Amino acid sequence: MSDEVAPILSVKDLTVEFPTDDGVVKAVRGVSFDVRPRDVLGVVGESGCGKSVSSMAIMGLLPKSARITGSIKFRDRELIGLKPKELRAVRGRQIAMVFQDPMTAMNPVYRVGWQLGEAIKAHNKHFDKKQVRSRSVELLNMVGIPQASTRVDNYPHEFSGGMRQRVMIAMAIANNPDVLIADEPTTALDVTVQAQILEMLIDLKDQLDAAIVLITHDLGVVAGITDRMQVMYAGKVVESGTAEDVFYTPRMPYSIGLLGSIPVHTQDPAAGARLKPIGGAPPSLINVPPGCPFSPRCPLSDGTLCETVDPPLLRVGPGHVAACHHSDELAAMEDPLRLFSATAVPE
Amino acid sequence: MFSFIVRRILVSIPLLFLASFIAFILVVNTGDPLEDLRTKINVPKGQIALQEHRLGLDKPFFERYFSWLTHAIHGDWGRTIKDKAVWDQISRSLGVTLKLVVFAEICSVLIGVTIGIISAVKQYSWFDHGATTGSFLLYSLPVLAVGSFLKFFLAIRLNRLLGREKNPLLKTIGESTANFCTVRKPQNCGLIPATTDFLTHAALPTLTLVLITFAGYARFARATMLETLNADYVRTARAKGLDEKRVILKHAFRNALIPVVTVVSIDFGGLIGGAILTETIFEWKGMGRVLVDAVTKVDPNLLLCWFAVTAIAVVLFNLVADILYAVLDPRIRL
Repeated sequence: MSDEVAPILSVKDLTVEFPTDDGVVKAVRGVSFDVRPRDVLGVVGESGCGKSVSSMAIMGLLPKSARITGSIKFRDRELIGLKPKELRAVRGRQIAMVFQDPMTAMNPVYRVGWQLGEAIKAHNKHFDKKQVRSRSVELLNMVGIPQASTRVDNYPHEFSGGMRQRVMIAMAIANNPDVLIADEPTTALDVTVQAQILEMLIDLKDQLDAAIVLITHDLGVVAGITDRMQVMYAGKVVESGTAEDVFYTPRMPYSIGLLGSIPVHTQDPAAGARLKPIGGAPPSLINVPPGCPFSPRCPLSDGTLCETVDPPLLRVGPGHVAACHHSDELAAMEDPLRLFSATAVPE
Repeated sequence: MFSFIVRRILVSIPLLFLASFIAFILVVNTGDPLEDLRTKINVPKGQIALQEHRLGLDKPFFERYFSWLTHAIHGDWGRTIKDKAVWDQISRSLGVTLKLVVFAEICSVLIGVTIGIISAVKQYSWFDHGATTGSFLLYSLPVLAVGSFLKFFLAIRLNRLLGREKNPLLKTIGESTANFCTVRKPQNCGLIPATTDFLTHAALPTLTLVLITFAGYARFARATMLETLNADYVRTARAKGLDEKRVILKHAFRNALIPVVTVVSIDFGGLIGGAILTETIFEWKGMGRVLVDAVTKVDPNLLLCWFAVTAIAVVLFNLVADILYAVLDPRIRL
């Protein structure tokens, strides 16, 4: 997507902090990104990097204790600081969300039709029972639930995990949202089901003209289906660009580390079969040390600049930004993936 | 569902037989019902033997047990040591206890669950802190203290303050006024005076029971509600754009209700045995008093009937708890 199209969702300098007994957790530390209409934005990073918290902030679903600063604009309308009632009109209508675990995301005591109907009714008060029901069946058909007209009367526990996630997606698209945030939508599912769900999400995006923010820790999930990708680490965006940019010309060692963590299927056990893990663990978000947050784990760290100055996101190509003092070195490398040496992984 | 109920009742039968056998062993070893008679001087041996025969004490253990059991199954619960029908006494006491505990339990649940929900929704607010402290305080107070305080400090002083020592506003003794409706006092006969009389008697013991019971439900409801409020499906409900009232009542509360209802119905089964201390303080002749009397006087048939009634109540309300669980939670299929 070209940069000229006005973004539908625009996040600027978003920070989220949680006061805890041990100190203030800085979960999101200045995140900015734009989502354009019909765009698919992939957000990748490991657990605790702030990707879910960012999406919850957009939905206004963070606990009251969270301190949020920055700006979240939906079509030029500021969402931070909206009154609960105004926010409810956006939630599920303009921006909808699909959650990670379909096993617990649905209320076990109500039929799926009831729960779908609730989502429809929340933004279509004038619908009567018949309209709500036929719309529910229509939605279940859209997400590929067989025998939707009878399944609508089933309880969540009567569905498999993949089918439940389909129902969750049906709930999210009930009001034709403009932005669909999918937070690890396939993580809790069987590998065979994952591909079906992703394929369906992309199908629906085209049908509904919606933009999708796909949050995942699995680069394999975003490969091939996202237009733009951003890599997050320790509450910050560390690299952002087209999927091709990040996959083929990564300019931030952490992105390279993530790429090296994808299992590669090969017939020859000697060639590239071993995973190349990133050593160490992400920093504590309570006392974030100065400098690049990735420097303690980074093979390129120079020990001086990297540990004192946090690198800003700088342009490394058209529409491609990275936060690394040594991105030029990476650009010069023949095979940057060799940055993390292979360590023995039990076969 | 129907086959489950039938099956459960059938399973309960051997359970009740076992309970009756254990109760019988305990009762037989409680003491000698005729000790009074034996220690008195100048009681002819023949009279003691007669009483022993009447109560079946002269028979061996198993013969006694099966004789009692056969009669009990046929609805004959035997006679007390004072030669009165056991069932008359138990059924009268059961009525008295039910009048006390049913209303008290309903009040406790309503108050407790309401406080628990508000506490959970407004966690760490002044209301939550106040309710938590207050319910802990009441929860840890012995019923003896609460009952005596209400009786001696609240009721008697209030009655004196109102100048109604003769006809107190809050009655502190018994479950109804003795000889309330007679030929001489026809104005007392009728539904309204009878109800008023009952309410003035029931107020204090009911309040005592509510004060010591609701706190437990408040704590329990708060805990389950906090759990459901943090559940993923509540987050989903919010993400749909539902208003907070609907999220709390239809999603969080509806799920928190399941364990609360189960606990309440099991508790209710236990209440049939009577509120011993409350009944004693306010001199109600309920099931609790019957138990105390039967134990002190070593009255075997009375004790056995009390055990049987309470055992049946516990089994029955456990069944009710299971049925309600299945009604409230579609994942449970009976």
